[in-house]
Amino acid sequence: MAVSNDKMPPSQDDEYVLTGPRCKRRRTSDSECFSWEILPVLSEEECQGVELLPAYAAPILCKKETSRLVKEVSAIYPLPGLQHLKRVRACKEEPRQHDVEILICLASPLQKEESALSLRELLPTVKAECSSLGEPFVVQVPARPPLTRPQFRESSAHWPTSFHENKLVTKALDGQLFSWEEKNRMQKYMDQAIQAAKCGAAIGMEAVGAVVVNSSTGAVIAVGHDCRQGCNPLLHASIVGIDLVSHAQGGGVYNYDIYPDCKFFLSPNNNECAEIDAVDSPAGTHPTAVGLPYICTGFDLYVTREPCTMCAMALLHSRIQRVFYGTPSPDGALGSKYRIHSRRDLNHHFDVFRGILEDQCQELGNECHQVS
Amino acid sequence: MQRSYPEQELHICVAMHFLSNNNFCHSPILALELKWLSCVLLDQAKEAMEQGEVPVGCLMVYREQIVGQGRNEVNETKNATRHAEMVAIDQVLDWCQRHSEKTTDVFEHTTLYVTVEPCIMCAAALRLLKIPLVIYGCRNDRFGGCGSVLNIATDYLPNTGTPFECIGGYRAEEAVEMLKTFYKQENPNAPKSKARKKD
Repeated sequence: MAVSNDKMPPSQDDEYVLTGPRCKRRRTSDSECFSWEILPVLSEEECQGVELLPAYAAPILCKKETSRLVKEVSAIYPLPGLQHLKRVRACKEEPRQHDVEILICLASPLQKEESALSLRELLPTVKAECSSLGEPFVVQVPARPPLTRPQFRESSAHWPTSFHENKLVTKALDGQLFSWEEKNRMQKYMDQAIQAAKCGAAIGMEAVGAVVVNSSTGAVIAVGHDCRQGCNPLLHASIVGIDLVSHAQGGGVYNYDIYPDCKFFLSPNNNECAEIDAVDSPAGTHPTAVGLPYICTGFDLYVTREPCTMCAMALLHSRIQRVFYGTPSPDGALGSKYRIHSRRDLNHHFDVFRGILEDQCQELGNECHQVS
Repeated sequence: MQRSYPEQELHICVAMHFLSNNNFCHSPILALELKWLSCVLLDQAKEAMEQGEVPVGCLMVYREQIVGQGRNEVNETKNATRHAEMVAIDQVLDWCQRHSEKTTDVFEHTTLYVTVEPCIMCAAALRLLKIPLVIYGCRNDRFGGCGSVLNIATDYLPNTGTPFECIGGYRAEEAVEMLKTFYKQENPNAPKSKARKKD
């Protein structure tokens, strides 16, 4: 179902889609699952495996001495940059000879179990160590604080760490971030992108479609498809989407007269602003001064396949809020080859999710290859 | 790939590049020509600044002629992707149409001169078009796609055109100076920071 009625403001149209006559049937199938799963595309740091460092630990033989030992050992061997590591851990392994173990210090990376240093060598100044501490041994400890629950689980298997959980990330990883209604709406937007992709493919373009949505109102701002086989080889679907948004805001570069399936919608609100903008302000006036968002601020992009590096960076420059893509692509820059959306050294970050209607999106690619 | 050259050395280096690539139809670009090019180049950047755009200018040279030139047009078009390179690429496409030349042939033999290291987006675009050589002024520490943030120019991206060679440091001081002047007078079109949005 395409939200493409020009006469009706897109926001109303969208509401119609959500609460219209089809609603009843939908309600009865509330528990019905979607054929797809939405997954967050996390940052490099959040995805990587747990890196381990060798360290010395020793059993605490006399449990009462624990707090004194922690104080003394921490004073001798502070662990700068490793604040996530707990100093002591409870011993659960059976048979249990002692209750707790203490982390003493990092070992050299090449330290082998056989050549481990003795207690006297490690802690020559700690008093009564012989009675309260057992012989040190080498353990592997996590080098970085865990960022996600899977990382926390893996880290904890080696040595206990603190974990400041980002509840949203955990929910997203469990597939619990979005409600049924939200997913239903996402599916409609992605379906619109798929339809656009098919229209593009019908005129010889690569089968990729994109839909830009105002995330706060749900209004569709732009629908476009890949145009790279036309006069400009760089007109990928995301670039087209961005330019259509510019058109909706009174700017824009390319003419889409020959591509009737690439279109933008002016919401009543936007329209007003565009007029004020055109009357009052010469080029270069602050767009937000007249209530217009800065380019794609607050907008979501639904695109059938993962954007390439050029498109991903174009979306970053445009300050996109979220990107949802159907299927990954080989040199993709939002998860496959790079994770441009989550690089700390870039000045804007956005959330990326993949998987909406993945099978249908992937099929588009296959059909396209059959044609070419 | 990320190298900085004193001016004299750069001229030799560019000439060597042309000589070593037999598929290039150019004669080696002489120091004099390079000087002329860079004047046009810096004029582009100045024009951008006068229009309230980030001062970046670029030229695309094919068979010793300028087939495209561009400056930033982001604010004018309300489209954040309108960097100097993207504007110049569109001009080259127009030029090809006017001269009935195949765009792939032209881009594959075109050199890009740009005052600032191309950003990640532009670097990827240049790769997609298979532009073989980029000569730029100063580094782009915020967005640079030729080594500063990512290295799109040389990374292994088998589905993204071909890698290209980069020569940086050409008249870098002037390019930096212009950027400094521009950022001193705070970009009025940049989005307000989140902290300020609240009030």
